[in-house]
Parts: sequence; C-alpha cells; structure tokens
Amino acid sequence: MVRRLIGYLLTLWIVLTANFLLPRWLPGDPLSALLDPTSASYVYDAEVRAALAAYYGLDRPLLAQYGHYLSGALTGDLGRSIRLNRPVSGLIGAHLPWTLLLTLTALSLAAVLGLLGGALAGWRRGSSADKVLVTLSVVISNAPVYFVGTLLLIVFGARLRWLPLAGGRTPFATYPSLLDAARDIGRHLVLPALTLTLATMGSQFLLVRNSMVTVLGEDFMLVARAKGLSSGRLKWVHALRNALLPFVAHLAAHAGLVITGAVFIETLFNYPGMGRLIFEAVGARDYPVLQGAFLAVSTVVLGANLLADWVNQRLDPRLRHV
Amino acid sequence: MSALLSVRDLHVHFPAVGEHQTPAAAATRAVDGISFDLRAGETLAIVGETGSGKTTIGRALLGLHPPASVQGSIRLQGEELVGLDETGWRAVRWQRIAMAVQSAGTAFDPVYRIAAQIAEPLRVHLHLSAREADARAMALARRLGLTSRHLRAYPHQLSGGEKQRAMLAMALSCEPEVLIADEPTSGQDVLSRAQLVALLQAICCEQGTSLLLISHDLAAVAQLTERVVVLYAGKLIETGDAAEILASPRHPYTWGLLNAYPTMTTARDLRAIRGSLPDPSNPPMGCRFHPRCTQAVARCRVEEPLLARSTGVASGGERLIACHLGGLQALLEATALRKAFRANGQIGRRPADDGVEAVRDVDLVVWEGEVVAVVGETGSGKTTLGRLLVGQLVPDAGQVRFEAQDLFGLSTAARKRCYRRIQFIAQDPFDAISPRLSVGKVVREPLEVQGIGTDDERQARAREALDAVSLPTDEGFLGRRAHTLSGGQLQRVAIARALVLDPKLLVADEPVSMLDASEQARVINLLKDIQSARGMGLLIISHDLALVRKIADRILVMQQGRIVEAGPAGRVISAPQHAYTRALLGAAPAFDW
Amino acid sequence: MRSQRQPQPKHKRGALVFGLTLLASVILVAFAAPLLAPYDPHAFVGRPLERPSPTHRLGTNDVGQDILSELIHGARISLIVALGASVGTVALGTLVGAVAGYVGGWLDSLLMRGVDVMLILPRLPLLILLAAFLGTGLGQTVTVIALLFWPTTARIIRAQVQMVRRRGYVQMARGFGGGAFHILIRHILPEIGPLIASQLVMAAGRAVVLEAGLAFLGLGNPAAKSWGLMIRFALNLPGLLLTERWLWWLLPPGICITLLILALAYVGIGLEASLQPRLEGV
Ligand code: SF4
Repeated sequence: MVRRLIGYLLTLWIVLTANFLLPRWLPGDPLSALLDPTSASYVYDAEVRAALAAYYGLDRPLLAQYGHYLSGALTGDLGRSIRLNRPVSGLIGAHLPWTLLLTLTALSLAAVLGLLGGALAGWRRGSSADKVLVTLSVVISNAPVYFVGTLLLIVFGARLRWLPLAGGRTPFATYPSLLDAARDIGRHLVLPALTLTLATMGSQFLLVRNSMVTVLGEDFMLVARAKGLSSGRLKWVHALRNALLPFVAHLAAHAGLVITGAVFIETLFNYPGMGRLIFEAVGARDYPVLQGAFLAVSTVVLGANLLADWVNQRLDPRLRHV
Repeated sequence: MSALLSVRDLHVHFPAVGEHQTPAAAATRAVDGISFDLRAGETLAIVGETGSGKTTIGRALLGLHPPASVQGSIRLQGEELVGLDETGWRAVRWQRIAMAVQSAGTAFDPVYRIAAQIAEPLRVHLHLSAREADARAMALARRLGLTSRHLRAYPHQLSGGEKQRAMLAMALSCEPEVLIADEPTSGQDVLSRAQLVALLQAICCEQGTSLLLISHDLAAVAQLTERVVVLYAGKLIETGDAAEILASPRHPYTWGLLNAYPTMTTARDLRAIRGSLPDPSNPPMGCRFHPRCTQAVARCRVEEPLLARSTGVASGGERLIACHLGGLQALLEATALRKAFRANGQIGRRPADDGVEAVRDVDLVVWEGEVVAVVGETGSGKTTLGRLLVGQLVPDAGQVRFEAQDLFGLSTAARKRCYRRIQFIAQDPFDAISPRLSVGKVVREPLEVQGIGTDDERQARAREALDAVSLPTDEGFLGRRAHTLSGGQLQRVAIARALVLDPKLLVADEPVSMLDASEQARVINLLKDIQSARGMGLLIISHDLALVRKIADRILVMQQGRIVEAGPAGRVISAPQHAYTRALLGAAPAFDW
Repeated sequence: MRSQRQPQPKHKRGALVFGLTLLASVILVAFAAPLLAPYDPHAFVGRPLERPSPTHRLGTNDVGQDILSELIHGARISLIVALGASVGTVALGTLVGAVAGYVGGWLDSLLMRGVDVMLILPRLPLLILLAAFLGTGLGQTVTVIALLFWPTTARIIRAQVQMVRRRGYVQMARGFGGGAFHILIRHILPEIGPLIASQLVMAAGRAVVLEAGLAFLGLGNPAAKSWGLMIRFALNLPGLLLTERWLWWLLPPGICITLLILALAYVGIGLEASLQPRLEGV
C-alpha cells in the first residue's frame, strides 16, 4: 500500500510538472501571447496583466518559475482568472463541491443499478431480458452524453416542465429552512444526475454482467451448487461477491469516465460545477483557470484511484498476501 | 446386499451447441445407458479416459446437469432422484451425496477462508452454530492432515495437495451416504496417494459412507477398491471384481488400458491403445471401440454389443462385459507342447528316449493385439518353440490353436491358409533372403507362392509393405540385389516380406541380434509401431531382456525347455520371481535403472 | 459444462455485420457528399431559422445555411478525424507496446510506468487544456487525441507481443540470428495484426466521440462543421429546446453521431469476439 501511495504521489508530481511545462513548451507560446500587445489573446486589463506576469514570471529562469509554481500550487495559489479577475483557487473552491455532489450521486446510482442489473442479467444470461439490457446498455453508453442529456432536458424540462432546465439552484432564492434548500438543490440535481447515471451505468452493467458470467463458469460455483446451497446464497454470497472484484478494480477508471461526463453535462445544464467552469474558461481562453481545473480534477481522480485500490485490497484476499 | 445407490440406464445427452444448430444435429452423448450399483459401505471405482463420461456421471448423481439432459433412473435407498427439482436436489446434495471434484485447485471460492467454506454446508444443512461448524470442520481437516493454519488460510495460500485434502474434508463434512471422489489424489505424490485413499476409506467406513472413486488410472484404483466399472465413450464396457479385472482383464479396451498406464514398476515404454477416443457427438456405429479394437469382426461395426456375463472367468465374482466375442480373444494358444531331438540331431519319435527334450510341456497364449516376449539363453529351447508355433516343426505332443482352430487337426490346405496369417521373421536375414534376388522379387515372393493377385497388385502390395518398414519404394530400390543391402535394410526387407500377406501374428526369432546397437533399437521400435498400427499380435523370441522389455506386454522366461516364469512385463522386470530370471536380469548388458 | 468450448455466439457475428453495414453507409455518404448535399454547407442559401420545407428538408440554421447539407458534409469531418486519430493512436501505441514487449527489461518498465500514469490521468480535462493551448484546427484535434490515447493500445499490444515472443518459432528465429527488426516484421506483426485492427476500430469510435465532445465544448473548428459543432451551434440559440427547432436541427446530428459510434462499437465487439478464441488459445 505504501508503494502504491508513493506511486500516486509520483503521478501527482508528474501532473504538476506537465501542467507547468505544457504551456511553456507548446508551439505558439500561448502564455507570452497573453502579454504580447500584438497577439490576438492580449489581455487588455492592466491589473490582470500584472497579476499574470507575476504569476507566470516568464522573464525569470525556468527553474525559478518552476519553484514559484510548485510552491504556489502547494499553498493553493493557482494564479488569477483572466476573465473574472479572481483567484483560481477560490473559483475551484466554489465549483468543485457542485461537481462532487453531481458525480458522487451519479456514481453511486450507477454503481448500485449497474451492480444489481449486471448481477441479475449475468445470472439469467441468455434470457431475453438479458439480451435487451445488454443492447440498451451498449446503445446508451455509446451515445454522446450531451445528446442523451438534451433529450432528457427536452422531455422532462421543456415539455413536461417537471424539472428545472438549468442551474444548480434557483437564482437569488433565499431558503427559509435547510430542508427547502435541500429540496431546491435536489430538484436541480435530478436531471443532470440522471443523465450522468444513464450515460455511465451501461459500462458498469456490462462489466458486472460479464464478470458474473465468467464467475458462474468457475469450478467453485459448481462445487457451491453441489454443496446444496440455495440459489440466493449462490448468487449473492458467492457469484456476486467474486464479480464485485473487477467491478471495484474498474471503479477508479470509472471515476474518470464520470468526470468526463460531468464536464459535458454541467455545460449542457448550466450546472455550476467544474465542467461549467472549464467550459467558460475555454470560451475566454482563460488559461490559469483551465490549468487549475485540470490540477483539481486530476487530484480528485488520483484520490479516487487510491481509494479504489484500498477497497479492492480489502475485498480480494489474493491481493493482500502476496 | 441391497444397493444403496442404484443407477439404471442413465443417459446424459447435451444438446448440440453452435450456430449450425439443426434439429437433427447430434447431441453429445456423454453418458449413454449406464447401470451400476453402489452397495452400502462399499468402494466402487468408475474408470475411463478423459471424455469417457465418468465425470459426467458424478455430476449427474448430484443433479448438476440441466434436467432435460438426464434420463434414466438414479435411486438412492430406493428413492428416485432423476426428475427432482432444485429444491429436491438441494436436500440430496452434500447431505446425502457429496463430491470431491477433480479440480481442487479451483474448487474453492477465492475470497473466503478455507474453514468457512468447509463449515458452510454444515451451517446450511445441519443448522449448526458457527462455533460447532468450525469445530467439526477442524476435526475433519485434522484427520486429513491439515492444521489450523491451513484452515485460516485463503485458497490461494494452499498448495494443490493441501487444497485436495481440504476438498475431501469439505465433502465429508456432512457425513454423506455417498462420497464421489473424482481423481482425489491427482495432486499428491505417488506414496501419499495410497495413504490418502486408505485414510479416506477409513473415514468413510466410520461414517458409514460409501465411496465412489472416479479415476483414469485403472491399475491404481483397482488395488484400492472392491469393484470396478470401466467406461468407454459413454458406455459401460466391463465391470466386476477389482482384483480379478486387474489380474485378467476381459474386454480388449480394459486390457489396453491396463497396458497403457505405466505403474510405478513399469519399465516398458508407454503403450497407447491405437487411435483415439471417438467424437462424443458422433460415436461410431456398433461397438464404440471397434475402430481401435484389434479383434473387431464385421458384426462389431453394425451391432452394439450388450453387457453380458463373461465366459472365461473362473471365479464366482460377477463379471460383465460388452463384447460380441465375449472378450479378449486368444490369437495363438499352445498347450502342453513337447518336442525332442535325438542325440544325433534327428527328430525323435519317442521323447522318453535318450534324446534331448528341447521343449517340455509348454503352455502359451498370445492375446489379440498383444506383444509377448519369450526370453531365454541359447539352448533354452526358445527357437524350437518358435518353429513349432509357425509350423516349421511338428510337435511330439500338445496342441497349437490359432484363432481357435487346432492347426495340426486341419487339412493340409486349411493349414496352409492359416499359416498365411502367421509370419515368421528369422534371426539372420542374410540366410533367410536369397542374395541373388532383387528386393522386389523377395517381397513379392509370398504372394506368388500363395498365388494372390495380379502382377500389378503384387507390386503395389510389395511397395506398401516396404513403405511400412520405412524403406524406399522406387524402381531403383526394388531392383537392387539383396546382397548389396546392409544388415538393417535386409532385416527390414524380411519384415516387409512377412507383412505382405497381412498376417495376424508375427513371430520374430531374435529379429535384431545380427544388427549393430543403433539399428537394433530402430528395428525393434519399427516392429512395435507396425504391430500397434495394424493391431497384430507379436511374439518375440530373444535372449535380450533389456531389449524386449521396451515393447513387450508380457514376458515368458524359458529355461531348459520349460517356461519358468511368466507375467506382465513390468512385474517380471521389477519383481522377478525365478532365480533364472534374476540371473538373466543381472546379465543384461544395457540395463539402466 | 466447463469443458465445452462455446463456439462464437451468433449475436456477436450479427453485431459485426450490423456495424459494418452502418459504417459502410456513413462512408458512402461521406464520399458522395457533394453529390448528395443539395447546397454548399457554408453558403447562406435561405433565411435564418427556416422550418423544413421542400427546398430545405431540414430547414436552415441561425445564419441561413441548409441543415441537411451541413449534416451530409459533417460525415466527412467525423470520418477524417476518426481515421486520422485512430491511425495516429494505434501507430504510437503499437510502436511503444511492441518495443516494450519485445525488448523488455528496464525500457519496458519505464515505458509501462509512463503508460500507467497516462491511464490514471483524467484525460478529458487534459485534452481540453491541450486543445485550448494548441488551437482548434482538425490537424491539432487529431494530434491531441492521438497523443493522449495511445497508452491503452500500447498496453494491449505489449501483452500480446510478450506472448508471441515466447513462442517457439520466435525463439527459433532468434536462434538463427534473426534481428529484432526482422522478427518484429516477419513474426510478430502478422500475429498482432488482428488485434491492431480491432484497436483501430475502437480508437476510431473514441475519436468520433472526442471530436464531437470538443466541438460541443466550443473547441471545434468553425471551418470544418462537424456534427458535434452543429449541436453546439444549435444549443447556442437561446430557447432552442422550448420550440420545435431542435427536432430538425439538434436531433439529426445527435442521431448521426450516435449511429456512427454504435457502428464502430459493434464492429469492435464483433472483431473482438472473433479474436477471442485466438487470445484464449495462447
Ligand atoms: S471384438 Fe467387437 S465387440 Fe468386442 S470390443 Fe472389439 S469391436 Fe467391440
């Protein structure tokens, strides 16, 4: 586990360094362009320009820039947004919770549904219900998230008007109680979370179903059946417990998928999370925000990987004693 | 004694899989009409090669196949199991019939500790508390040589042998009425195998569990069980008392199986039954063994033999075999053969006279498809015996029967026809083949003598025979004079000449002793190959025990005109009974243990 | 029955046929785009936001361009990106994977460490970052996708190369003194060929998704209007979803993308299934 931790720290360092080097090495020199009056991306606001110059410090030697950047990143100084003229860390702090709310909701929903559906479909492999579910999963998990989201938005938001069209909460609303706040935020969460769940559940489902089918073919399942165990015990205690292993192992990779989906969905639903932040930063070529967002998302994903590794080791004795 | 478990006419047919699925597509007939009984407290072995259906039977006894694929009757204490639903089967599984599967390595759920898995059925079926179940699991595991360390471990932490023991402990945990043990010892070394099975039998005996052993190794299990059921391609082909089957297998397949598996004591090269197991979805018509059987007759190809009491078995134990011919046939049978020579070398009329008795009271059998070696020193009478068998000499007394016909009771013409089917290969090819003849002529000669075929046919058969002994078949070689060939080539020509009449039995008198060492091995292996490919009998007469042990199924040791020792090659080599055999073994030059 | 090897299931072959048919039709449309499309997709041929009519079967967009023509020409963009990015991805991945798998040792460890890191990273944010820095030309998009997504292929190819390398005939060829290059070309490449094909298909599918996604996020190339960009432009119109316009402006490109991705996915599934016995058999 310690070795894993070191591995992740190393990866984090690589991410940080890449984040530093990329804009400096890429053709077109995008950072200098910000400060170059002749270029298209010249920043006109003198105050912002000064902040940028101080943060990037392009006139200093590379190593000094690197030191400045690293110490800044570790203390939470990620520069200032060009567009909003606010510290990037503050922006991330305001957006990240929304994304976490959205992704964790969708991730847990997708996990539970994918796990149950996959287990049952695998158990009844070859049945017509299994075939229908498999086909649906392939179709839905391959359709672009924002397209699926748009359709949901049209049906539930625009046509049926059951749910709000956009945003994370009602603008300018004041809540008399915490419960009201929760209800409002929940109502806004339903459609984006549903879209994200739908979009990511398919691969969960297919994974569980296929590992279930594999497990059911194992010798130990035959023995378990020969032992006269009830089908419930066979299904849940033995088969699913084993099918869980690849599922958990893929959970981290899945977190990446969910984040990707979230970027699109937040854009589509105007949801005030990281995706929205990134989208808006893209429009304004707001590099400090993009870089900061990349760092933040990478850190979250690395954390998810670490967690998944740990859970996986708890679940699979073969990984514990090597 | 009434049967505890009684299987009647059991069929397990799996539907054809794959996309070319037509209604007519043949199903895989893994088990095809098998009946046997397991008596209370008894150990019974089901023996067969991989694919014979033995594992399928084991699973059928636990209701693990889709119900539609199983037909027939399985009665446990009179209660019919076939047709039970899952709930019904659950009450039988493990509590009444348990199974230790062959693949113990993958038989445990990898995420739970061994102890929990052994205890699981105790808790599910006997509703024991966790503590009671653990205690019982522990006690059983201890008896099988496992410690609490093993029980606390996860499956991947145990060795194959340990898992197998744990598997047995798990199978015995509910004290079932029947334990099916599928290759229970395959992960163990040879020594602990016997111990493990003995232990298993002891525990079964205490618990009142009957043991059904499933194995591919007839020789090994027959020593451990009371009765044996032999399967071939989903059919029961022989069953009976284990010791008797081991001593005298009656079905040609059982006989081959016993010869095919090297026991610890076999010094012989592994002898395989010719051909391979048939495709279970498309088994051969008639007797399923006929493509591989050395004694198959026309009837075998069209009619399926029924299981019937075997003749030719002395004891009271019931022996059933499925063979049209009633089992393995004697190809050549000599009884009480005697032959004496006068002191002056002429053939004596009265053996009691002062002459030398070269062959005294010899009994000998060569079964269909068998390789028998007669071993003895020069002057032991073995050459005379060979010449008597092929009709070059007439015995003073006794009988020689070939394919159940008394050779000397036949008319001359009939005898001549018979001798066409017995061919002789002499020691010295330079002597046996005229040096002036061409190779082609030499090989064609028997056909010409017998007046068989046209010239072209003779030529073709000669070529075929030469090809069988790995000699060239071109005109150039056919035209070569015999004296231009080497000893090894010449002996091959002699063998080809013997083969050209498609004999049923080859008698070879010191076939390789004139050759140098490397040629010896090659020619002897060639003989063996030809024998097993054609399903012939082969009788080798030799002084060289080390050489014949490589290919012989049985060895007869001859001294001063008598057979002093006879038995399976492995036994004669590893545990010689007679002092003379031991002397021969000691004298064998290239004997490398 | 564990011992019974299942032959390739029927529906897997069905998947292949279905995918190939769909893919072929998209390719056909892309090639024949100038013949099929009624107008130049960039020309302003009508009034803005016309409803579907016999002259403009799918109406016009907010600047008066014919939507059907945009749709037909959009197939070209998707396919160009799919082809370019998949070839780039797989070429890079195969190169790294083959070298790592064949050479082994520290080079292998080093390359695979790098692959691990790249596989952990959330690649979409990185992709966005790179695309933002580099600009939105088709070439840039293709390059960025290839640069970020080769590690998946590298890992799979490496595993296969390692397996092939251990086989007898490769060992023999080395014994004859066959050089690494000779062995890679003569023995290993033919073995991993089918695998490369399935990787290509999968990379192509991914590239289509990514290109459309980038366009959706505003990182598309306005000069090359892809289906993703059409969706973006449609959504840019305020209140689009409240009228019926989405029916002919947003739905068609959405369906087209979905179908193309599905086609590639099904071809991939079919190919993989036909590879399966091969992979199991070794
Ligand atoms: S003799 Fe005929 S019936 Fe007997 S085993 Fe041989 S083929 Fe079968």
